[in-house]
Amino acid sequence: MGCSDLASEPLRILTAVPLCDGHDSAVMAVNQALILQGYEVVYLGYHRSVQDIVRAAIQEDVVAVGISSYNGGHLEFFREVVELLEVKGRCDIGVFGGGGGTITPADVVLMKSYGVDEIFLAGTSFEFIDERLRELYGGGRDRAECELEIANDDRGLAMVLSSVGSLEIDRKKWVRGSAKVIGFTGPGGAGKSTLIDEWVRGYLADHPVGRVAILTHDPSSMERGGLLADRASMVYAQDDRVFMRSLATRGRQGGFAPSTEVCLRVLASVAAGFDHVLVETVGTGQEALPFENSVIDTKVLVLHPEYGARVQLQKILMMDSADVVVLNKTDWASAARAVEEVAHQISLSNEGEVRLYQTQASEHGNVGVTELRKDLLG
Amino acid sequence: MERDSEFDPAGGDATGISLPRLPLPELDEPGAIARYLCGEGLPGEFPFLSSAYPEMYLDPEDGSKPQEEPTRLFAGLGTAEETNARFHLLTKSQKSHRLSTAFDGPTLYGMDSDADGVFGKIGEGGVAVDTVEDMERLFDGFDLSDPQTSVSMTINGPAPTIMAMYVAAAKRRFGPNVEKVLRGTVQADILKEVQGQNEVLFPVASSLRFLLDMMEYSVSHFPKWYPISISGYHISQAGATPVQQAAYTLSNGFSYADMMREQGVAVDVFAPRLSFFFDCGVDVEFIALSRVCRKIWAIGMREVFGGDNRSQLLKMHTQTSGRSLVSAEFKNNLTRTALEMMMAYMNATNSCHSNSADEPFTTPSEEYVKLASHGQSILLEESGLFRHMMNGLSGSPGMKAVERAVESEILKEFAEIERLGGVLGAMEHRYQRSQIQAASYRYEQQILSGERRVIGLNRYADSNDAELPSVVRVTDAVKLKQLERVRAFKMKNKEAAAEALDGLSQVVENGGNVFAQLVETVEVCSLGQITERLQRDVGIFRPMI
Ligand code: B12
Repeated sequence: MGCSDLASEPLRILTAVPLCDGHDSAVMAVNQALILQGYEVVYLGYHRSVQDIVRAAIQEDVVAVGISSYNGGHLEFFREVVELLEVKGRCDIGVFGGGGGTITPADVVLMKSYGVDEIFLAGTSFEFIDERLRELYGGGRDRAECELEIANDDRGLAMVLSSVGSLEIDRKKWVRGSAKVIGFTGPGGAGKSTLIDEWVRGYLADHPVGRVAILTHDPSSMERGGLLADRASMVYAQDDRVFMRSLATRGRQGGFAPSTEVCLRVLASVAAGFDHVLVETVGTGQEALPFENSVIDTKVLVLHPEYGARVQLQKILMMDSADVVVLNKTDWASAARAVEEVAHQISLSNEGEVRLYQTQASEHGNVGVTELRKDLLG
Repeated sequence: MERDSEFDPAGGDATGISLPRLPLPELDEPGAIARYLCGEGLPGEFPFLSSAYPEMYLDPEDGSKPQEEPTRLFAGLGTAEETNARFHLLTKSQKSHRLSTAFDGPTLYGMDSDADGVFGKIGEGGVAVDTVEDMERLFDGFDLSDPQTSVSMTINGPAPTIMAMYVAAAKRRFGPNVEKVLRGTVQADILKEVQGQNEVLFPVASSLRFLLDMMEYSVSHFPKWYPISISGYHISQAGATPVQQAAYTLSNGFSYADMMREQGVAVDVFAPRLSFFFDCGVDVEFIALSRVCRKIWAIGMREVFGGDNRSQLLKMHTQTSGRSLVSAEFKNNLTRTALEMMMAYMNATNSCHSNSADEPFTTPSEEYVKLASHGQSILLEESGLFRHMMNGLSGSPGMKAVERAVESEILKEFAEIERLGGVLGAMEHRYQRSQIQAASYRYEQQILSGERRVIGLNRYADSNDAELPSVVRVTDAVKLKQLERVRAFKMKNKEAAAEALDGLSQVVENGGNVFAQLVETVEVCSLGQITERLQRDVGIFRPMI
């Protein structure tokens, strides 16, 4: 099964900085060093609670969690992470970390006694960190029971998603459910993540029940390691009613990862039970048509006002196949001209079928985002 | 070249030689004199390269007043009582009381000590302040109306709320008129939080609105208060190069000036109430870095903003570099700090924090904080270097070379920021953050490869020296005390708080001055209650990686 060939795949780890701590210099340097060594690092960001860390670790199905703690309280914090992983049935996920000189050798002894695998003290080289992590986590592990058929909790679902990369799934088992699948694409910097997060915020506030899944993509560097950092800025999406998974493109061109289509099929299934599945591509070029062969119900193209000259718009192939075009960052000075040009371009390419929204996703409760949400829900 | 010296010639200590208080270059050619006066400036004169005031390390507002020490040590641990005791210890032999407050993680993030998941962090790395009552305890025994007392508070995301607590606490003790005489500064620099320190609570636009409300209120109500400390320290500590530190900090400063001007506040009203905070590390750029900042600021404020002499003055606090201090053979940190402190004073800093040798490990212990404080006394009082002369180290060819190089690099950074749409535009492109992160990674790589020499770590390391200092931690009993205190406060004010929070929301919605309202709100609401309410009203900041 898929779990066994872990050793040949990039090591997937999650890194984060604890609640009430913004010391991110060390973790960013460690992230960078590990990516260069071929790791896929899901980075959750700073000022993160134990619950957020454990939820993300389970949903992302990482082999281990690395925590960088500087503002004290590490004895409590690491222990709570270890304990909650156990409570949630994933005690196989490792826990390691560092915090320069603030974590003393005596602390390390104590932390190891309650299940922390390793603490990297001040002055540790990146080479040593890499070696030690491979030693700890590189050999594949005895994973918590993998029940491929039952995806009735995040744990099971997350493990299924890990296995589909290397395993053809049985389509009969993953019957398409009622989930609406919405694809977001567009150039880097258009604000896709913020838009999705703001969308999710409104969804959670307006709908007391129901769950959403989000599938995001980030480029792999040199076709191997990658920084998957969408979670860091999608703060409202760190919620028990949201299942989020970050994929690295692993050398595939066009916006998706090799396993994207199969993952989408699983997420949109009856068994997974989501109301909505939102998928975000990596930042794409003008020729990209990422949604061609997938189960996407609504295709959303997100642009920002600085696409350059008008002729650049004509070159964006997605313009012709999008259902919805969003012009984000309408607070920018160049927005007024952009609105006009985009509207004009749409009228030329799709015989008026396309809906255009103007948003400013960074604004709390933005009117444009609310309208877009209603459209996509309806 | 001569100048009518208002100052007595000073005497050297050892030989008793007579030295001029203000040595001037031996120039007789008029062009050279003009170049000197415009390029360097006399101490206290445009463009303030030498120093902000003609006489440093005296009370600048009034020469007849007793001396105000430039030493200002950052302190905070445990609850208000423990920190108050540390404040008394630090200032017991000083004429002036220059207090500087470090807050703990939960306070920095606008949370209460009884919030979920924060217990372990209560009072670690700073003091826990949840309510106006904690604020009263924190400054117990200090006369906040005394012109010799000044209070600095390192708080940013929740700065308006914490400042409101400070004002409310001071009024409780010293009456409503204390407003007019409050001296000190609140950091409140939200732009550098986005760029380097990561303590933003609300979306940038709302954070800026709350800040501007506070600044506007402050300049009209607290004439002696500095409502912002525009900080390069955190940018630098996050890994920026010295030039990046200077460029991002100055450009942030000019942005604030722009925003205040847009609010309709006259430049000569707000500009004298801006202050700065820089890092000083061991690298050669630091020999001149903040001198150059003073010059660029003066020119910008004079030429672009049309500010008067007082508006052109960049007043700064300097802290020695924490990141240059390492745990390996940590006692070497004493020497590093001494070197940095000396460069800070060579740059004529207005005040200075010197780190303790145990910086890599812990909130400083009494032992090392005493050494850090005495280090400053040795430099300023024991040594004659800064006692006898105003500008003994200005104008040397080496210093000038660094000044020129650094200045031109800063201007290049300005051009890049401008190209990206100014400070806010550049921020949206993650420009400052990505530049800082790249520099930080390079810095760590250089240490690991040995290219950047760190004695005791990658050079001359002594494997027998594994000595570590003992760390200062807060006991669970102290944490529990704080937790229960804030619970009791909230219980006591339950009904009043609900009403006060609604009042606050109304002001947020109708566009009134949020700070003016906060001064009332804090009477019955805790920091966490206020943060939560404001986040409900305006949203949560989405961090940038
Ligand atoms: C840089 C720094 C800052 C910068 C942070 C910038 C940023 N964006 O990260 C600034 C100036 C903003 C800052 C602010 C504060 N700081 Co500070 N800071 C430091 C400093 C100087 C260096 C830390 C660092 O990044 N080192 C560089 C890293 C790469 O090296 P390292 O720490 O040795 O880590 C190695 C290993 O441990 C390992 N590692 C570390 N983490 C991880 C994680 C993983 C997964 C792995 C595998 C490895 C690993 O990697 C490194 C490789 O060798 C330390 C003191 C010191 N000299 O260590 C204080 C220090 C950590 N800060 C401290 C404090 C108190 C604060 C503040 C709370 C002060 C205040 N009250 O306002 C604020 C809080 C800021 C916030 N938002 O949370 C205290 C903590 C004290 C305590 N715990 O008791 C310290 C120890 C200083 C002190 N003595 O007071 N700080």
